[in-house]
Formats: sequence, structure tokens, C-alpha cells
Amino acid sequence: MNPSRYHKLSLILVVVIALCLPLVVRSATYLHILILLYLYAYLTTSWNLVGGFAGVLPLGHATFVGIGAYTSTILSLQYGISPWIGMLVGAVLSSVVGVIIGLPTFKMRGAYFALATIAFAEGIRVMVENIDYLGPFQLNGPRGLQIPPLNTGLANMMFASKEPYYYIILVMLVGVLALTWFISRSKLGYYLVAGGEEPEAAQALGVNVARAKLIAMALSSFLTAFAGTFWAQFTLYIHPKSVMSLDISFEIAFIALIGGRGSIAGPMLGALLLRPVGDFSRIYFGDKLPGLHLIIFGVVLVLVMFYQPRGLQEPLTRIYNRAMRHLFGGGETA
Amino acid sequence: MLFILEDTLNGILMGSIYGLAALGLTLIFGVLKVINFAHGSLLMVGMYVAYWAVVLTGLHPYLTLVIVMPVMFLFGYLLQDVIIKPIFKAEKDVREPITVIIVTTGVWYILDNLSLLIFGPQYRNIQDNPLRGKMLEFGGMMISVPKLWGFCAAVVCALGIYGFLQKTRMGRAVRATSLDRDAASLQGINQYKIYNIAFGIGTAVAGVAGVALVPFYSIFPSVGVLFDIKCFIIVVLGGLGSIGGALLGGMIVGVIESVGPQFMTATWTEAIVYGLFLVFLFLKPSGLFGVKYDW
Repeated sequence: MNPSRYHKLSLILVVVIALCLPLVVRSATYLHILILLYLYAYLTTSWNLVGGFAGVLPLGHATFVGIGAYTSTILSLQYGISPWIGMLVGAVLSSVVGVIIGLPTFKMRGAYFALATIAFAEGIRVMVENIDYLGPFQLNGPRGLQIPPLNTGLANMMFASKEPYYYIILVMLVGVLALTWFISRSKLGYYLVAGGEEPEAAQALGVNVARAKLIAMALSSFLTAFAGTFWAQFTLYIHPKSVMSLDISFEIAFIALIGGRGSIAGPMLGALLLRPVGDFSRIYFGDKLPGLHLIIFGVVLVLVMFYQPRGLQEPLTRIYNRAMRHLFGGGETA
Repeated sequence: MLFILEDTLNGILMGSIYGLAALGLTLIFGVLKVINFAHGSLLMVGMYVAYWAVVLTGLHPYLTLVIVMPVMFLFGYLLQDVIIKPIFKAEKDVREPITVIIVTTGVWYILDNLSLLIFGPQYRNIQDNPLRGKMLEFGGMMISVPKLWGFCAAVVCALGIYGFLQKTRMGRAVRATSLDRDAASLQGINQYKIYNIAFGIGTAVAGVAGVALVPFYSIFPSVGVLFDIKCFIIVVLGGLGSIGGALLGGMIVGVIESVGPQFMTATWTEAIVYGLFLVFLFLKPSGLFGVKYDW
């Protein structure tokens, strides 16, 4: 039998399991952990468009989370506009900011790009912390914004239980994975990889590297802002430290780097491995051994960079392929 | 107007301590061409070593230098030798060793949280220390004594590193490696040993900055993060790899932070520093004194 059919089958199986999980997982805690896992997988996959395919190291993606969260929250709180529309407005705004940041920074290489994105993100966070009113919009500075949980329902993207959130973030995640798969097979994807690995050679072949990177940045910041709106509606309380802090930017990058940047499965895999480790170590050791999960993150990151610089997806894909061959016999796997 | 002068002076003194903290970062960058994201954590380790040296032996805070410098040199030397060197070897032909940046970020997280785990989250201060809050009156202005000593330490360290690089045989080898590691290797210089030594010296200088801070600054596990980003900003302002630039960059940041609050909310000065950093990054990425480096 054609092995690619087994890939499709196992993919469908995974989606079906994901759809049925809330029927089995009744505990709100575990559902919460799952939602955060998907959220980070989503964030990391969006980050991967720039950080993975374009081969640079952006460390300020929390800005876009913050823009998404603040835009939809302000619009719904102060103007009564549904978060679903606010989500789109936030995403457009975020991609404009993304392009503004990208225009000067993509000229820099390596560490300088990373530093510039950190400076942008931190600068914007400090500004939000210091501004109570931005024109007609109330930002509330460091106190943040609280969304009163009054009008629950799909139109307001606000629910009394966790299941609807689970399905929303699942749909978002599947969407972003499909989009990444599509891009990785498109001209843009090849341009990005070429520009990331050998910018001079790519340019010599007539690839407009700068333009490809800007498109990737616009897309990535657009998608990241969606997650911000989701986060705001999920927690119903946002403040600069919770949605724009450097820790978020770093965690996104860590997950992608450990899972394997530049691959489709990598970010998903990274979130699947790291998020539960973080959550459970916080649940069980949070009081006695503070910071344990971050030590684990750090150690895993260093070890992965040592032995598998392209991330964990590489050996795991090999194992998966071998298992497939054993199970179904013969046939070359792609 | 006197208070502006007083703020400027205290800003220069505090800024020189920032510069001292950034010296190690700029030295490591100059030689390894890598931005060490764990630098703030190394400073934090230096502060803890100094703190425990004072608490356990009862030494005067500044005398702990005798302990802190060798310990930190060894720590940096081993860190580079055990963790960073293998990555360098694996990525020998890559011009921009981005994996090394990622690994130093991992080291940052490990060190910060390890100290949280071991020492707990509480803020520590050296009790009964002779320098806390000590002021010097100078023409109607109050000047903090520990900051003045920090300024002296910064100048001495900068001159010391400069002298080492210019006058000694080892210093010449370090400069040669920083200019062209392959050509240096052809001359019989062991580039990895030079990396170890440069990293060790950079870490030892971070330790000196830690000692300068300990008498008047609280010690806590994430104290490095406060200095980490400041150090990045300072070295880019001054020019990555430039010793004098680091000091001057530190003083600029220090003066903005200390004079700024006279005119605006104190927290806004942080935004101004970031803004200045970005302007420099775009318009003059080589900084005030940096050599032109290909991006």
C-alpha cells in the first residue's frame, strides 16, 4: 500500500483524538493545560514563519500578542464591538507594526536582529505601562484591562466553560498548521528558506529576500495577534506584563528551537513536550522547587543544541518513519 | 541648577558601573563575535559569590575581590570550555554562530533559576556594611561613596584590559584571534584557548562589577535581567568590542536614568533608553567607537 496514505490516516487519527479529548478529559485543570499547550503550539507555529523559515531569531513576538489582546479588548470594552471583529482589527494593526519593525531590522544579521526585536518589544511594553489614555482609548497603564464576564456566548467569544475555548484554539491551530504546510510548499516558502540559509546566493538568483522576509513577518505578526485576542478572552484580564513580557517571547522561541525550527511538526512537538513539563512541575514542585521548569527548559535547550541542532523533530521523524515501515512493511517513506 | 549637576554626576558614577558590567560583554563579543545572553546571569553569580564571601568570612565587601575574581575567571573559563566550545567547533564554518546565542540564552535560564532554587527569591543585602548609604559632600552636592568606588573600579578595569590587550604577548594573541581567527590559528595560536581566556576575563570583570554593586544593591536571583538588557544597549551604543565605548555607553545610560526623572515620570526614561538604542542600531550600528563590522 502507498505509505503516504498511512501518513494521512495517522494525521486524521490525531485530529479525531484531539476533537474527542474534551469528552474524556473532564478536569478543568487538564483542559486548561491542553488549551495552553495548543495556544503555545499556535504561537510557536506563527513565530516559525519568521524564526524558522526565514532563518532569523526574533525575540519580541510578545508585542504582537499584546497588540492583539489590547485591540480586541479595548474595542469590546469601550465600543461594544465583538472580539471576533476586534481580532481582525488587531491582526491588521499587528501586521502593520510587524512590517514597521521588519523594515529596518531585517537588514541586520544574527544577534543584532535578535537585540533589535527585544528592544522594540520592551520599548513598546514600557510605553504601554506608562500610558493610561492613548487618545480616546483607555489602556490603564500597568493596571491593565479587565473584561467583566457578563455576556457569555459565541458572539462575544466568552464562555462559562472551557470546552468552547478548547475547540476555538484547536481550529486556530489546525488552520495555522495547514497554512504553514501550504506556505512551505509555495514559492514564498522556498524563497524564505533560500534567503535564510544563503542570502547572497539567493539574491544572485533573483530572489527578493527582503520582500519575502517582510511578507513572512506580516503574516507571522498577523497570526500571532489572533492568539493575543484569544488569550485576552480566555483569561478575561490583561496587563502589559501578562501579554507583552519578554518571558513570552523567549518561551515561544525556546519551544520552536527545541522542537525544530523551520519544520512544520517542530513547534507542535516542542509545545507537546515542554508545556506539560512546565505545567506539571509548577503544579507539583512550584512551592518547594521554584523555577524548576525553567531550569529544565534551559537544560533541554542546551542539550538539544548540542546533539540535535535542528531540533527534536529530526530524530523523531526518523523513528516515526521506521515504525511505519515496520508496521506496514516495505515501501519508501517520504 | 545644582541638582541637575548632582544628578548628572551620580548618573555618570552609576553609569560607569553599568559600563563595568558591560565591559566583559564587549570583550567576549570582540573576540568570539558572539553576544553572550547569559552575561547578566554571570553578574548575578558574581554578586552572590561576593555576598557569601562577605557573610561567611566577614571580609570587607571590596576585599572579596580576591575571592570573586579567580572564582569567576574559572567559572567563565569552564563555561566556555565545556558548554560553548563544542558548539563553536560544530559550527566552525558558519559566519554567524546563532546556535551559540541560543545556548547562552539557555545558560541564562539555567543560572537564574538555579540560584532561585538554591538561594530562594528573597532580596539579600549585606548587613552592617560600612558603605551602605555613605555619602560624600562635594561643593554642596551629595555623592554616593560606593558608586564613586565603582567608578574607580570601572576605570581601572578598562585600563587594565586595554593594557593587557596592547602590551602582553597573550593580549596580542587575543587581538589576533579577534581580527581573523583562521589567520591566527595559522600562526600557531590555539583559538579555543584564547576563547576560554577571553571568556574567563569577561566573566571575572562581571564579577568585579558584582563586587562594586554588592555594597549598595540588593542581591536576588533575577538581578541579572535588570543588567542584561542594559548591557546589550550599552555595548551597541559604545560600539560592540570597544572597551572605551562600553564605559561611555554606560555613562550615557546612567545620565539619562538619573537626570530624566527631573523632567518626566521615572519609568519613561526606560522607554527613552530603548528608543536611543534603536536609533543607534539603525543609523550607526557600529556605535560610537565600534569598528565597521559586516552585518
